[in-house]
Amino acid sequence: MLDHITTCQLLLTVAARQAGSAEAFERLYREYAPLLLGVARRIVRRRELAEEVLHDAFEKIWRSAKSFDPLGAPVGWMTTIVRNRALDLIESHDVARVTSYHDTIDEDPDGALDRLFDWDAPVEEGVDQQRIARWLRVCLGELDAVERQTLVLAYEHGLSHRELASHLRKPLGTIKTWIRRGMTNLRDCVESCLGGGR
Amino acid sequence: MKLVRTPQLDALCGEYLLGSLRGPARRRFERALRDEPLVALRHQYWQRLFALRYAPAVATQPSAAVWKRLARELDLARYRTPWFRRLSFWQVWAGAATTALVLALSVNMLQPRFAPRFVDIAQLAGADKNPVVTAGLSDDRKQLHLRAVRPVVAGPRQSYEVWLLPESGGAPISLAVLGQLDAQFALPAAHASGILSGAKLAVSVEPAGGSPTGAPTGPVILIGAIRI
Repeated sequence: MLDHITTCQLLLTVAARQAGSAEAFERLYREYAPLLLGVARRIVRRRELAEEVLHDAFEKIWRSAKSFDPLGAPVGWMTTIVRNRALDLIESHDVARVTSYHDTIDEDPDGALDRLFDWDAPVEEGVDQQRIARWLRVCLGELDAVERQTLVLAYEHGLSHRELASHLRKPLGTIKTWIRRGMTNLRDCVESCLGGGR
Repeated sequence: MKLVRTPQLDALCGEYLLGSLRGPARRRFERALRDEPLVALRHQYWQRLFALRYAPAVATQPSAAVWKRLARELDLARYRTPWFRRLSFWQVWAGAATTALVLALSVNMLQPRFAPRFVDIAQLAGADKNPVVTAGLSDDRKQLHLRAVRPVVAGPRQSYEVWLLPESGGAPISLAVLGQLDAQFALPAAHASGILSGAKLAVSVEPAGGSPTGAPTGPVILIGAIRI
């Protein structure tokens, strides 16, 4: 994995649209396309759709690199582009997807949390952000199991309220409550860590 | 109604990040992200709190077609570094040049006997009879060199032409056209045999590029008899 500064520099070189921008873009692609394809695939399920998402997302990265904030998190920025594109796509491919995600969803959401995410990797924006990431892991652990499972499913697979209700066999209202309460509790927990330096 | 006034702004930010905000609600939130700076700021705050980083195990290799299509559609060739500005090109070039130089030097040092030796054959002097240039002939009789006591360089519109005045008294034969009198040049093969005791070497001043007629046209500034 490229370090934070190198990744930022590559994005800025892409944004500059000059001789060398293509090489910088290619390096970003070689480095991050596999990870981002994995992210897309968890949401859209089908490989050819995931590659479509990857293509569209990198097209957007090329075109809007100039709007990337160099003080921000480059991998986070690219991941957001990919996730948003994937979510856009499944909104127009609902039927094809609903039939397929049931078989592939992880039945062990707590294990999934540590398989899916890197909690100890040096996080991009520095020490503060790294501490926030560790607290986030602690706070996720402190949530009710059902809330945690709902949040992880929604994030990893991009499941809508309705899909979550069908998968977890719960009423829509219950799902909405779990998500809302889960996110609020998560925020309150991380904020109290920030304030109390836990 | 502006989203920033909504009491559910935090909930919307959370659900947007999570991905569960869908349909018209999602599009409305994205519009607000663009149009309402306070919404964008609150969203940034949530992004920092909720910064999940995927593990490398998630990665899966895309097919080569994706990159090919991107490169074609975005016309990436336009933004490539030209070959002569690439570091690797100059590194290879510098490496090759160094190797060639080392080879050339070692060949030179290994074979000093192939460098010709010169024997002085004439002192060329002007009207005051003081020698200004010494002419030397290589031991293989193929090259002549001129060594000037002091540098003598022709003006921009003139050249020095070196002539052989045959012992027989025939017409002067042009041996070389020079920009300066410190020089070494190959003898025209047809005239090497004319370099004999009794013949003379002379230098005349000619228009740039040498005599236009094949015979000296300008003043003869130096002359000397050959003695071998």
